[in-house]
Amino acid sequence: MRRYETITIIKANIAEDEIDTILDRMEKIIQEENGEVLKVDKWGLRKLAYLIKKEQQGYYILTEYAGTPAAVNEIERIFKIDERILKYMTIKLQDVYIADEPSKDEDQKESDQEEIKTENSEADAPEADAIDKAE
Amino acid sequence: MKKKKIFHRRKVCRFCADRDIIIDYKDPKVLRSFVSERGKIIPRRIFGTCAKHQRELTEAIKRARQIALMSYSGSMQG
Repeated sequence: MRRYETITIIKANIAEDEIDTILDRMEKIIQEENGEVLKVDKWGLRKLAYLIKKEQQGYYILTEYAGTPAAVNEIERIFKIDERILKYMTIKLQDVYIADEPSKDEDQKESDQEEIKTENSEADAPEADAIDKAE
Repeated sequence: MKKKKIFHRRKVCRFCADRDIIIDYKDPKVLRSFVSERGKIIPRRIFGTCAKHQRELTEAIKRARQIALMSYSGSMQG
């Protein structure tokens, strides 16, 4: 199991519930491969730095999940077919998936790959020790 | 032979000096100060970032460009 993060840009004029169906489909694929969705962050409409398929704006969604390479392949295959999706990018964050600490605030920080390598301020927490050993 | 005296000011890597700045492709505000007006990545010899951070920086900028958070060519019209 690896940890990935995918940014998806969806066309600006797509309705909210259609976006949810795209996300649901993605989640289903991940779960079929025994993965787990960790975070879904809708950034909302943003101006694109350059035109993609002649669109100036796009709806950004960041999803973080633990999954297998097969799941990523399948997601990307479906994204490629889907006309509503302008662009996507998947980045591998961890080669071996390590569960986050339960506290919510730390979640945000731990999503960055650089952040994981730096020393954790909450080193006295038992979970943090487990992460150190696993690395 | 006369030796010219040139003063080199020792440049310090901004990311080493200030550890609060996190290099992340999702955060184009930070990255924008490390590219030229034309959108080019500014070389290490000018900014004085250390090798490790420059590497992370270029990676982040290239990722940000891919996902349209930063432009390849500077301004929108260019």
